[in-house]
Amino acid sequence: MSAAQILARGLGKDFGGRKAMNNIDLALGGGLVTVLGPNGAGKTTLLRCLATVLKPDTGSLLIDGLDPVHESDRIEIRRRLGYLPQEPGLAGSAKVFDLVDYMAVLKDHTEDRRRRHLVFDALERVGLADRCTDKVSDLSGGMRQRLGVAQALVGSPTLLLLDEPAAGLDPDERFRLREIVAERRHRTTVVQSTHLTEEAAISDIVLVMAGGEITFDGTPAALAQIATGRAWVQADQPVGVRASWRQPDGTYRCLGTPPVGATLVEPTLEDGYLLLSSVVPA
Amino acid sequence: MSDTQWNIDPARIDQNWRAITIELDAPRPGPIEAGLRRVGFPAHLTRLMVATPGLRRAWYLAVAIVVVLALAPFDDTATRDDLFNLLLLAPLVPVLGVAFSYGVESDPAHEASLATPMRGIRLLITRAAVIMAVSMGVLGLVSLMAPGRSPWAFAWVLPAFAVTTLALALMTVLTPRRAAGVAAAVWIVGVFLARAVSSDLLAAFGAQGQALMLVSTIAALAVVWLRREQFDRLESHV
Repeated sequence: MSAAQILARGLGKDFGGRKAMNNIDLALGGGLVTVLGPNGAGKTTLLRCLATVLKPDTGSLLIDGLDPVHESDRIEIRRRLGYLPQEPGLAGSAKVFDLVDYMAVLKDHTEDRRRRHLVFDALERVGLADRCTDKVSDLSGGMRQRLGVAQALVGSPTLLLLDEPAAGLDPDERFRLREIVAERRHRTTVVQSTHLTEEAAISDIVLVMAGGEITFDGTPAALAQIATGRAWVQADQPVGVRASWRQPDGTYRCLGTPPVGATLVEPTLEDGYLLLSSVVPA
Repeated sequence: MSDTQWNIDPARIDQNWRAITIELDAPRPGPIEAGLRRVGFPAHLTRLMVATPGLRRAWYLAVAIVVVLALAPFDDTATRDDLFNLLLLAPLVPVLGVAFSYGVESDPAHEASLATPMRGIRLLITRAAVIMAVSMGVLGLVSLMAPGRSPWAFAWVLPAFAVTTLALALMTVLTPRRAAGVAAAVWIVGVFLARAVSSDLLAAFGAQGQALMLVSTIAALAVVWLRREQFDRLESHV
């Protein structure tokens, strides 16, 4: 089965009068999509709607042409779905194999031998096949996160939704997770949320969210280009710029409108994101 | 030396070796799961039954209550008060199990499990059915130990269905534990009310009471079915 196609028009969701997500349009099909934004931007709400566990208040959503409003369509979408919530809910007393096996049962893999193979496949993909009988409480934070990904991967879904998979991980584990996720992008539509710009760099598409809305939809290169001609370095501490920070060599990297004669630098994805984000008003 | 040529497909050897490794490496089921398998529940079903810590606690709680009930006097010295206590408490055993078997309060993987084809209502009904089957089976054995109490010894069966299905219906608007609490309270108040009104200790368990339980069960199941989407979404927090 090929990568899932997602088509959304005007998706919105309110919680107690607060707009968590507003007027979201999406057209995705294959590849790695990163939803980038600060905490409270609406990333989790969007992923929960795509995972069909939240019902949008407004707009329409089709996944492979199936409408999650209808019960039978919703079930069919869930057959194609792998979902890692922000709180994966991995019971510490459970064994590694058993947790993935449980998820495989929930995904309707009821034939025992085949299910065991699927579970081992998923654990192998995340490098935990040799920890089958270990308790979850014996795993490191990074391993637990990989276990959550294994739960999402079991059964080879065509739509993989990962909510903040890299949060709280050390650089080694982040790299490892990135490899696992990137490996899936050719057969699967992978949508991951993050507030870490480096996680977005390897994406095919980046969606920047702020205040419940998508403020950017494009490639990582296009996001970086937003800062073209608006990123420079200088020796003195800057005044009146949009954002600046001291670099390891002692110079200041600045974003905004450069002064005459400024030393412009190659913009990065982070520069583009900071210029877009609500923290640094555009 | 033999000149025999062995034509063995290396891929097939790998495949077989992998299958053996998987069978050997998969952890053995725990005591509850193994017990359920021994009495005939299929492996995938038992995995659903014991996977969450809340559910395991529910099993222990249910077993503890059944043991307490089993310790009640079941010989000729047993009074109608003993019978009343059995009939009052027995319907609460399955509802306790159901209360701890589902929802964000009991199941850490609740959100992830909602996004699967098993989904809320099927998972809840499956767990509730197994909990009902096991706890009512054990309670049935307890009742059989009560000589001379027929036909009252099994008068808790319909109430057990009624209280549990009422809790399921209430779960469409309340969290599972609150729903179970309200259903249990309704049951206890109802029994004492019937006892006070009729001056018969076992009034709630008579023919009229049983008919009411049956109607209540059917009505509650209808509510559960009609409002099943409430179990399927995170907004409900069930």
